[in-house]
Amino acid sequence: MATLNTNAALAKEEVKAIEIQQLNKWYGDHHVLKDVTLDIYEGEIMVVCGPSGSGKSTLIRSLNHLEEYQEGQVNVFGQTLARDRQSDQLIHNTMGMVFQNFNLFPHLTVLENCTLGLTWLRKLPENEANRTAMKLLDRVGIAHLAERFPGQLSGGQQQRVAISRSLAMEPKIMLFDEPTSALDPEMVKEVLDVMIDLAKTGMTMVCVTHEMQFARQVADRVVFMADGEVVEVGPPEQVLVNPEWDRTREFLQHVL
Amino acid sequence: MSASKYTDNSAVKRFKAAPARPPLKQNRGVFHILRQRCFNNIGNSVLTLLILLGGFYLIKGMLDWAVINAVFVADSRRQCMEISPDGACWAGIISWFNGLIYGRYPIEEQWRVNAGFMIAVAWLLPLMSKGLPLRNFVLLSWIGLFPFLGGYLFLGGQFGQELGLLHGLMTSLALAYFVLNYLNWGLHKLGKQGLHEVFVPVLSQWIQRRVHLTSLLLVWGALAIAIAFGLTQVSLPSVAIERWGGLFLTFIIAGFAITMAIPVGVVLALGRRSKLPVIHWLCLVTIELVRSVPLITVLFMAVTLLPIFLPADVEFNKLAQVLVAVCIFAGAYMAENIRGGLQAIPAGQYEAAKTLGFGYWHTMLLVILPQALRMMIPNIMTSFISLLKDTTLVSIIGLFDIMLMARNIANDKDWIGLHTEPLVMISILFFVICYGMSQYSLNLEKRLKVDR
Ligand SMILES: Nc1ncnc2c1ncn2[C@@H]1O[C@H](COP(=O)(O)OP(=O)(O)OP(=O)(O)O)[C@@H](O)[C@H]1O
Ligand SMILES: [Mg+2]
Repeated sequence: MATLNTNAALAKEEVKAIEIQQLNKWYGDHHVLKDVTLDIYEGEIMVVCGPSGSGKSTLIRSLNHLEEYQEGQVNVFGQTLARDRQSDQLIHNTMGMVFQNFNLFPHLTVLENCTLGLTWLRKLPENEANRTAMKLLDRVGIAHLAERFPGQLSGGQQQRVAISRSLAMEPKIMLFDEPTSALDPEMVKEVLDVMIDLAKTGMTMVCVTHEMQFARQVADRVVFMADGEVVEVGPPEQVLVNPEWDRTREFLQHVL
Repeated sequence: MSASKYTDNSAVKRFKAAPARPPLKQNRGVFHILRQRCFNNIGNSVLTLLILLGGFYLIKGMLDWAVINAVFVADSRRQCMEISPDGACWAGIISWFNGLIYGRYPIEEQWRVNAGFMIAVAWLLPLMSKGLPLRNFVLLSWIGLFPFLGGYLFLGGQFGQELGLLHGLMTSLALAYFVLNYLNWGLHKLGKQGLHEVFVPVLSQWIQRRVHLTSLLLVWGALAIAIAFGLTQVSLPSVAIERWGGLFLTFIIAGFAITMAIPVGVVLALGRRSKLPVIHWLCLVTIELVRSVPLITVLFMAVTLLPIFLPADVEFNKLAQVLVAVCIFAGAYMAENIRGGLQAIPAGQYEAAKTLGFGYWHTMLLVILPQALRMMIPNIMTSFISLLKDTTLVSIIGLFDIMLMARNIANDKDWIGLHTEPLVMISILFFVICYGMSQYSLNLEKRLKVDR
């Protein structure tokens, strides 16, 4: 099997894109993130896996402040995130996110979904925004659907639009929360292919996914989480093939 | 998962899709449907015939009264009765028709009312071209500027005297925008750039940012100054608000309520969801208070209480008070409609907007409200229709709207006691307007459906 693993983190100068330090979060009394500490390097593809309810979504949603956390800190390119405008700005300038349910804007066409941020936030003139968006849509292979509305597309096509929409804002880090879980099996591949292409461009990616094939093929490192804790971190051939912990082995037996 | 799982490749059957067949023919003839639905058994046949018979007598009775035995030409109700005692006396309506439409607005000035309403409609026509530059401003300018122009046309007066300075300037701006908008629409249709775009190259030598906007403002301003100068040269005779009435006044009040309902409703609905306690409670109390009292009470409160709360030297006319009252009333109801729409928007939409970098106002205006409002089109239109009908209540506090004008007919010495015909007339008028609105809403709903 051809492998894409480049171990970018080792090859490149090691710039930390995200540093997660001693992150703790509670929902009421429910302790859902327990002392999570993790570094993600620039250009690295990090796959997060683990059983349902282990806190994977909560973790990556904490990175871009969709969730609050009570203890610990997150640094993005060396800057510590706080609850203020400056941090929000930093998050918006560096991170994009792709959701399980796509969350496209149903009242706008595919093209408008992608240009909305460019015209209103980047203040690009309409034709320039359209050109940028069309280029991205072309890259994910759906330029011919630009005038359609999201409701007229298949799940796989919608997810590809969602990826282009995020990429339009030129993020340095892309967060994926189970981007293929809501898709029919036949459409999973088209979305994974787009993600693989993206990985080749050197984008920093944090992907929560159950696609172990994808993890093995693309990931530089795999994180296994259970019960709010990071159980193991390492290259896929280590974590997925030769895990140290029984909890990981148990999980892998179920998904593989 | 690879093909190697299946070792024996030779025995694989090739799948080929079956050819498609045309659908079965259905008998869609009228007679077929009638027979199937209305005469499919004895009971149904009898019922159908009975209903047809009943309908026939009902319609015949109405036609007899309204058309066949009706009197269209007469000088008084007594004459009507002499000609045909059991027919409608439309002659009274015809002689009062002008009053029903314009109230007591002087006949020789009524062209101003017509002109005002025609401009109001014409203002919105450019919305029909999809790719028009500055299309968003058409509706905004209509809401923000037309009332001044309308006010000037309906009230009249000389610039600088009865017509205040501010009102006069706003009127000029409104007229200038109207003209500019039409010019640009025409140029756009011809495939040319808008008038203000001509100055962009010149301007861009001096300034770098917002050249287009500056150019637009300059052209608009210059036009407005020219028009303001023109206004000082003409003078329309003043018509006091007390003389406004009839359908004209109903349209003004309902139109104002309908236009203001959504902006006020959005503000109240968003305020109600606000995290700031002061704003939250203020909006909540306003909404609940206004929604739990009848419109008549709100109207009376506006007329009697408003002057008490405001400083004594602020002069008030009844119409302004009514407009404020109706506006708050409409807004409070609309706020609840909008809140319903907002609740139906999934959290994912807010999250997607946030991760793209949109702040609160961008998220609301670009993502959430367009969806919420579209979702609520049927409810919003229902509110609009009730508003239009509810505005007839203002006759109670003595505004000469169409209802009071109708009652006036029955008090006229020539047409004394003529109650039924004016009410039938008003019913027909309202039916036509409201039915039109509801059909339009169905059309709008289909066109703007969120989930296409
Ligand atoms: N809004 C919430 N309120 C209370 N508890 C929550 C909330 N959201 C998540 N949780 C809890 O937090 C824990 C972690 O949830 P999270 O969604 O991060 O899991 P996950 O690993 O993403 O699971 P899945 O694979 O099912 O998406 C779960 O036990 C869940 O029940
Ligand atoms: Mg999850």
